[in-house]
Amino acid sequence: MNTVELLSMSAPRLAMGALITVKFAVAAMVFGLLLGAVVAVMSISTDRLLPACARAYVSVMRGTPLLVQMFVVYYGLPDLGISLDPTSAGILTLTLNAGAYLSESMRGAILGVGRGQWSAAHSLGLSHYQTLRYVVGPQALRLAVPSLGNTLISLVKDTSLVSVITVTELLRSSQEIIAATYQPLPLYIAAALIYWVLSTVLSAVQHHVEGRLTLQTR
Amino acid sequence: MIKLNKVSKWYGNFQVLSDCSTEIQKGEVVVVCGPSGSGKSTLIKTINGLEAYQQGEVHVDGVHVGHSHKELAALRARLSMVFQHFELFPHLSILDNLTLAQIKVLGRNRADAEAKGLKLLARVGLKEQAAKYPGQLSGGQQQRVAIARALSMDPKAILFDEPTSALDPEMVNEVLDVMVELAKEGMTMVCVTHEMGFARKVASRVIFMDKGNIVEDRRKEDFFNSPHSERAKDFLAKIIH
Ligand SMILES: Nc1ncnc2c1ncn2[C@@H]1O[C@H](COP(=O)(O)OP(=O)(O)O)[C@@H](O)[C@H]1O
Ligand SMILES: [Mg+2]
Repeated sequence: MNTVELLSMSAPRLAMGALITVKFAVAAMVFGLLLGAVVAVMSISTDRLLPACARAYVSVMRGTPLLVQMFVVYYGLPDLGISLDPTSAGILTLTLNAGAYLSESMRGAILGVGRGQWSAAHSLGLSHYQTLRYVVGPQALRLAVPSLGNTLISLVKDTSLVSVITVTELLRSSQEIIAATYQPLPLYIAAALIYWVLSTVLSAVQHHVEGRLTLQTR
Repeated sequence: MIKLNKVSKWYGNFQVLSDCSTEIQKGEVVVVCGPSGSGKSTLIKTINGLEAYQQGEVHVDGVHVGHSHKELAALRARLSMVFQHFELFPHLSILDNLTLAQIKVLGRNRADAEAKGLKLLARVGLKEQAAKYPGQLSGGQQQRVAIARALSMDPKAILFDEPTSALDPEMVNEVLDVMVELAKEGMTMVCVTHEMGFARKVASRVIFMDKGNIVEDRRKEDFFNSPHSERAKDFLAKIIH
């Protein structure tokens, strides 16, 4: 079988795999951004306990390998009576991991908005949360877009790790085809190309968003 | 309506305010001056609760400024502040800068808030700029917007923290003119400023601070004609060229 035949024959399965990869990436992005926002807000709270919880969470998630986190959630949690199917376990782990990085980007961006904006908002009677919601948050988001974009691009690539918990996403699809055809090089390259296309699309979206956000302020 | 009684504040071992007492009546215009680092900003920020203090008491309209968050928010809505660096919200249009707190804090509906915002913009001569963003305006225009924003809350008093010191010299007067007009209309104002021309024109009193102390707190004529303290004399000599 020549390479062209091989790839055209594998295309439907690779496409299915890519679709599942996108599904994992999008789910983890949406939940990760929500989680990141909550953790970022906790981390700048004036309360004592909340920032400590946020710091501990971020430290653990950033200080341990995603692969190990994946194993703990999928193979470890059943010991505590929590059995998750591979899809839920994968999305949960990716969300928890990305949430930590995203929260750090957001926290940095919130701190990057000057103290004077807080004072001005407070002097008008806005509460802490109103100030975050209407004054500091929107400005922080603009500052955070580049670094959020980088994390989300990493996330697309990190989805390949859910292959180890039996999810047939892009990487595992190509591995299954390789197992039947013994032609690793073209298939791995095809998989790599698809990841590259996905990341490039996301990076284009990031630039588009950045452009629109700057247009609105000037 | 504003009363400070022996207010003291420390940053660690460093005392920023020591036993500062004064009283400001409705309709008074009080100018606060003194060398840089003497505690002027800190003092006026204790009045609307932006700076906490450790000793003494601050009362505004009989309300104690210090502890309860609920009262603090209500108080801040009645005392507006204008900052040295304007602190307009850069992601909001000029008009939205004026309506945000009216809607979220005072609970006005959008139509009323916008009508009020446009009226105030007209008053500071910037009605045509309503749809622009702060970054598109000059410093003097931004500060006039900030004053309009302060007025949008129908404040009982306005605190000014060096409103003209970040401006290019040619823009100082457009801001001072608005402030003079406000003073003439009877607005209660506490102004940290080194614009002694403004002080001579509209101030009722001058407070002079040095190293966290209120060194002089006197009618403006007395302050300018015969300052008691050496420090105030030095200061005046330096500032009035
Ligand atoms: N957050 C802070 N921590 C420590 N020192 C501070 C802080 N803020 C202000 N200071 C000090 O307090 C003093 C008074 O500051 P400020 O009220 O801003 O003076 P002014 O407005 O008269 O220039 C200054 O010496 C300043 O360095
Ligand atoms: Mg100051």
